[in-house]
Amino acid sequence: MSVIVAAVIWIALLGPVIALLTHLSWSAIRSSLSAPGALDPLVVSLESGAVTLGVLVVIGTPLAWLMARGRLPFPRVWEAGVLCSLLLPPLVIGLLLIFMVGPYTPIGELLGHLNLSATNTFLALCIAEVYESAPYYVLSAQAAFSGVDPRLEQQAQLLGDRPARVFRRVTLPLATPGLAMGLSVAWARAMGAFGAVIIIAYHPFGIPLQIYTTLQETGLASALPFALVLLVVALPLPLAAYIWSARAERRRRG
Amino acid sequence: MLNADVEVDRRDFTVRASIAVPPGGRLALFGPSGAGKTTILEVIAGLAAPRRGRIVLGERVLTSTSPPVRAVPPWKRRVGLLRQDPALFPHLSVRANLAYGGTVGEPELAEMAGVLGLGGLLSAMPARLSGGQGHRVALGRLLLAPCDALLLDEPFTGLDASLRRGLTDLVAGLVTARGVPAVLVAHELADAQAFADRLAVLDRGELLQDGPPDEVVLRPASRRAAELVGYLGFVPVQGLPEGAGLAGIHPERTLPGAHPDHGVVLTGTVSTRRPAGAGWEADVRVAGTVITCRLPDRPPDGEFVLTALDPPYFGPDGTAVPAPDRRPEQGRGQGRGQVRG
Repeated sequence: MSVIVAAVIWIALLGPVIALLTHLSWSAIRSSLSAPGALDPLVVSLESGAVTLGVLVVIGTPLAWLMARGRLPFPRVWEAGVLCSLLLPPLVIGLLLIFMVGPYTPIGELLGHLNLSATNTFLALCIAEVYESAPYYVLSAQAAFSGVDPRLEQQAQLLGDRPARVFRRVTLPLATPGLAMGLSVAWARAMGAFGAVIIIAYHPFGIPLQIYTTLQETGLASALPFALVLLVVALPLPLAAYIWSARAERRRRG
Repeated sequence: MLNADVEVDRRDFTVRASIAVPPGGRLALFGPSGAGKTTILEVIAGLAAPRRGRIVLGERVLTSTSPPVRAVPPWKRRVGLLRQDPALFPHLSVRANLAYGGTVGEPELAEMAGVLGLGGLLSAMPARLSGGQGHRVALGRLLLAPCDALLLDEPFTGLDASLRRGLTDLVAGLVTARGVPAVLVAHELADAQAFADRLAVLDRGELLQDGPPDEVVLRPASRRAAELVGYLGFVPVQGLPEGAGLAGIHPERTLPGAHPDHGVVLTGTVSTRRPAGAGWEADVRVAGTVITCRLPDRPPDGEFVLTALDPPYFGPDGTAVPAPDRRPEQGRGQGRGQVRG
């Protein structure tokens, strides 16, 4: 009985994916994807996603570690701050980013002096993706670091390791499955980022915007193949992270 | 040699301790939970800072709050700490755990594994180990790392008695063989006695007494120290050098019947009795107070005579006073009390 209930809920949740797979035809995929330049958005999405992940690892990991280790005053305030960008609808984030990094803001002017712009550029796309995906990474990284027993780190210190070495030999390996999960969720968010992107980075096109414009211009049938591309591109990393952390867990259990 | 003379502030009291452990020496810090025993170990390990103090290990000053101020970080102290949780690194095999802190070669590692009975487990993951095995790995990991002093914070609590005794003997043997000073924290007297060649009694941050285990147990320095090492009854006696005082009665140091040559003869009435191990435990009302005693046989109803073997005596202020027969001008057996209930 419980299996049936679970199966019904599970299938209902998978509904959109099932619909996508049942409404696609090979000919539609072939004709959509073989159009000239059809795969350029894929490249844009992959590149911006990679940059986004790099930025998240560099800025999100230390913040998450500090939050997890209680080294910051008023820890709830820090968490609430990170949660804020999770609670804001992506569309609103996009609007607010205009006020933050748009051409007529101090940051925008500074970027202008460097011949950069944070609207309708690759930079803008990356900024939008970082803001849409950062809280997913930071919060799961925080949880991953919190899961590492501080007594293990203490013991490693007493065995002669300075803190940086403890982080590399104990903290990081133990937190890595959690970090990988967080990173892969952030990757999926970055790949699918749309709300903030459509406001500040209409160009260059990533896959989500390509789906949207194809839908607007030629209709549902020709948009669906790009949805499949999005799924195929966004999914492997989370899947790999999941399988890998499950294996790490199994190995630990001996 | 490990010398520590420290004062550490805690929320409700200050821990003051001054200990000295020679190489190969085994000191037990004994006291009730919350007495500040663990705090002392953490300060020695560099995990907590003292308000005032100086810790010297061998030639090295690890902590000094007076100039020249020093606070060597934990990773440079070469002090091993073993807690109740063995804190093995769960992502590393037994072999990698053992080798974690040291630059040890394979023969040394294999020898240690053999001594600890871990020979067949080197490639196992910690999650697979039993409690006793886990502690042996943690111990081996400490001993294979550069380690000039060993701190043991109730490491074997929670293991069953025979396993605990075996591990305690193992550690004691290794400490002697290595010639490192060792400090054990224990709240069970038997654990402390099984390990230590010196016993320090700690209560609410104060070091009450420090001496060979026999002496601390048989001649506690104060009434409080006596209570902590298991004296459950205090009977008023006359004829002490300072006049009136109390004799401390340890349940395990009583004999049924009158043996005036061996201690104080007490006469009282049995108020409750219960089987205890292979014998009996009885509460006996003597001179307006209740004492507990262990007896080989079931005590009778009504009046009961027993002898407290060579008890310690305490003056009105609670500090130990000499037993009446210890005064040189008195012969053996003189001045021993007879107390009637």
